[in-house]
Amino acid sequence: MLEFLQQAITGLMIGSLYSLVAAGIVLVYKSTHVVSLAHGQLVAFGALFFWFFFGSFGWPLWASLIPAFILTAAIGLLIERLALRPLIGQPLFAAFLMTFAVFITLEGIFVLYLKGETRALPAFLPEGNIALGGLSVPVNQMVSFLVAVLLFIALSLVFKFTKVGLGMRATAEDHRLAQGTGITVRKIFSYVWVLSGLVATVAGIAIAGVMDIYYMLPYIGINGLIVAICGGLDSLSGAFVVGLLLGVVENVGAGYLDPLVGGGVKDVVSYIVLLMVLLVRPYGLFGLTRIERI
Amino acid sequence: MKARYLNICSVFAGLFLTLALFRVTAAKEVSYLSLADYTGPIAGLNVPADMGLSDFIKEINEKGGVDGIKINFIGIDTRYDVARAVSAYKRYRRTEKLLMVNSISTGIGKAVAGLIEKDKRAQIVPGDGEYQAHVQRTFLWGPAYQDALAATFDWIMEDWKAKGNAGAPVVGYLSWDNPYGREHLRGGQEYAQKIGIKLLPPEFFPPGTLKHDVYLTRLAKGGANYIHAGGVDPTPTNVIRDAYSLGLTKKIQFTTDYWGPTELGLGVHAEVLEGIVITSFFQRGEDAKANSFVTDMWKRNRGSMEKFNEVYGMGISWGITFVEGLKASVKAAGFEKLEGDDMYKAYQTLKGLDKKGIQGPCAYSDKSRRGSLEVKIYRITKGKALPISDWRTAPDAVSLHKF
Amino acid sequence: MRPCGIFDRNYGQDMAIIRTWQHWASLLGALVILYLFPLFGSYYLVSFINLAAISVIAVLGLQIVSGYCGQISFGQAAFMAVGAYTSSVLTTHFGVSFWLALPLSGVVAGAVGAIGGAPSLRIKGMYLAMATIAIHFVLIWLVLHLEITGSFKGLYPPSPTLGGFEFDTDEKMFYIIVSVMLIMTYCARNLVRTRVGRAFVAIRDNDLAGEVMGINLYYYKLLAFFISCFYAGIAGSLWAHLITVVNAEQFTLLHALEFVGMLIIGGMGSIPGVFFGVLFIKILNELVLFTSPVLAGAFPWLGSSPAAAMGLIAFGLAVSIFLIFEPRGLAHRWEIFKASYRLYPFAN
Repeated sequence: MLEFLQQAITGLMIGSLYSLVAAGIVLVYKSTHVVSLAHGQLVAFGALFFWFFFGSFGWPLWASLIPAFILTAAIGLLIERLALRPLIGQPLFAAFLMTFAVFITLEGIFVLYLKGETRALPAFLPEGNIALGGLSVPVNQMVSFLVAVLLFIALSLVFKFTKVGLGMRATAEDHRLAQGTGITVRKIFSYVWVLSGLVATVAGIAIAGVMDIYYMLPYIGINGLIVAICGGLDSLSGAFVVGLLLGVVENVGAGYLDPLVGGGVKDVVSYIVLLMVLLVRPYGLFGLTRIERI
Repeated sequence: MKARYLNICSVFAGLFLTLALFRVTAAKEVSYLSLADYTGPIAGLNVPADMGLSDFIKEINEKGGVDGIKINFIGIDTRYDVARAVSAYKRYRRTEKLLMVNSISTGIGKAVAGLIEKDKRAQIVPGDGEYQAHVQRTFLWGPAYQDALAATFDWIMEDWKAKGNAGAPVVGYLSWDNPYGREHLRGGQEYAQKIGIKLLPPEFFPPGTLKHDVYLTRLAKGGANYIHAGGVDPTPTNVIRDAYSLGLTKKIQFTTDYWGPTELGLGVHAEVLEGIVITSFFQRGEDAKANSFVTDMWKRNRGSMEKFNEVYGMGISWGITFVEGLKASVKAAGFEKLEGDDMYKAYQTLKGLDKKGIQGPCAYSDKSRRGSLEVKIYRITKGKALPISDWRTAPDAVSLHKF
Repeated sequence: MRPCGIFDRNYGQDMAIIRTWQHWASLLGALVILYLFPLFGSYYLVSFINLAAISVIAVLGLQIVSGYCGQISFGQAAFMAVGAYTSSVLTTHFGVSFWLALPLSGVVAGAVGAIGGAPSLRIKGMYLAMATIAIHFVLIWLVLHLEITGSFKGLYPPSPTLGGFEFDTDEKMFYIIVSVMLIMTYCARNLVRTRVGRAFVAIRDNDLAGEVMGINLYYYKLLAFFISCFYAGIAGSLWAHLITVVNAEQFTLLHALEFVGMLIIGGMGSIPGVFFGVLFIKILNELVLFTSPVLAGAFPWLGSSPAAAMGLIAFGLAVSIFLIFEPRGLAHRWEIFKASYRLYPFAN
């Protein structure tokens, strides 16, 4: 039992990282109805920019956060302006394929910059373990877990109470109706991509805290997509809960199934979960049910 | 308007193509093809190694080549992708006087080996014991992976006894879930049994895994006294970071193979990596920095020692072997008739070749495909990789496994 | 639309793909040149055509399921792996001849594909795309861990033989691969003109309306996946016997993404588009390979070998440019060109 709990807690910590990645995808989908495959790259670039100022130039933590946020948000804005805006009026699927093209392009730039090397962030979170009755939780992961919780609370507050947030929700309902009530939908789209860039930076920094920055980092976006789809693409709370759940399932699955089948279960478990969710509840566990028979 | 734009584009594309195809070839030239991964999972190792090799070749060429023969270094980026590598090999397959192919990756080596046999050429690969078990045209860089793992097990046994423990140590093994990750155990497993080490069921994880806590805790729960972390850096470093944050590094001694933490990673994660033991067939850390043949070449070509990586030296050692092989094959066959097959024959005569101390003397012969037999054990102390043993012969673990 | 002065006198003429003697002449001429190509073409070009032809077969399958039936699939590389492994297992473990293993691997991959396509009964669009990505990883994990597929060691299928003649070089394999490609193209070109093909198009354009018209959605969607994966399986089998080694590392998600990119650039819903898309991407890759050493020499900060990264950037940019400026792909350009040729004196 203790072992199970320990694995579950480790899973929760990893899951919070997945939730952070999924949050950006959900944000974009909520207002623009575009599923962004490119989000993993935003996360990777967020981490890379942070490393640039914190690891390479040696700026203090708070001072390196600001340029990292600004630069990643700028990339988000550029994606919206250059790649997605020309596609307004075309089927949504074209936009989906466009995010795939953006992913590949940014991947090329990322790889070209890294040249196969690794960028390691010096430890910036407190080290050590908290003991909880036989269980141990690393402090730095606890911190990123709390950051994830706070971020989700902040995001839901933004959506609930600010004018921009209300505009985003209105846009999510119906673009034309929103336009009719005086909301500039294009502006909202830009805001959304900027916001998703900001969230991606948080995710990137949190991930770079546990893993060096190297070519595999952008592929965390796939885990984020799985979480976002399983949770329901338009549900922030779904992304949070399912992210945690998936972390636990992966970890416990690897914990109990690996010895039986000879390793490597960790990745596959989440894909099987995704397939099952898609077959049983295609709109996700927490998503808004839009009835459309196929 | 659009059509004209497209036309202009295609004209430019055509120009580029002809420019690229128009290559001036030297009168006397041989080629060396490197199927390396410059941007993928094992790039951290491939980039510096091929830097070393290409610098070495450049300096040889500047001095007039080997007996007037220039060496053409062809580096192809495969991204650890077998399909890309095979099509790249096919592209250069009929190159005049292509004498050696370096297939960096266990999967690529296996895929190209068949073509190499057909073309009567020679190739070098990292360390799959399979090629020692079935002697063919494929040579290893150093000892086989399983030999190096066996040497690590030997060290573990010594360390265990030196600490005054009785009985047998329990050892865990975790690595990538791919051909490379499993190769070590084909033979390594048998060797552990032979010397009485209790090996826990091995753990495999996909490359790029975020956290390795599950595997580590399972090994720890199995009572591991030692854990061998496989994978090419930064994977071992990330594994050990997870172990550190779980508090395992204090209780369990971690070891890695020679693709473990390099000079570059040591600086940043010094505290985490403290005390890790690395078994290496080439000089690492302080040893490598003290080898003036390597460091002088680095300084001449790459400038300051700040970004120095010991894998650079390993690339130079490929170069030394290749140049000696070239000399021997030219002597035997003459330049005009020189073919891949002559290089293959020449490589078998290189036994005892001194590799400037970068690795042990060459061990290629008609029966042996090992690049060298010796390994050295290093321990990371205060962010520096210091040798804790002399060069020692790695035990033959290949013969223990039935391939 | 007919060239000036060509009139159809019966239904057969109206429906014919090859209409005039000029058509027949150019087709036969092209076939003769193609089949004689290994005799005068360089080895490099021959092996380039081999790999391109295998991609053409895989993308043809993708065209049927995605371009015609509207079900996007990112799983084509994994289904190719199923074909490659089936063929290798049959020839190495059971001693089945290549000529039997080739169609069988198509059937097995098709069956796996039909099961893998089952989610399409409930979901579509990007949900389906994600489901196929999941299927890709599950399949690759399976071939890496099953004993019969040689797990991580891979398999070494033999070169095909026919009555003592061994197809062991690229030049010899060229004839098998190109012939299979031509047959598969012929089948695909005609399939989309049949009842089945029209049903696919109806499902793509509006599945609800299609169902109302009496098209059995379940049956036709699964059929589309079966056919598509049959193509992938054939491509995989040819690949296995050309390279003579199969390994799970050969079939990555990036390949599946590349196939989708080829489809977008070539043009969805067009068989000639497949050829344009595959050639465009393959030639782009070769261009990048040739130019990147030049670029690296000119700009040292790019590093010693920027080829892979430059290739990705070029590929991504090409796909996005086509999505923005020519969403109907190169096939549409080709149609425009043909139309202006037919109408020659009357329009430009």
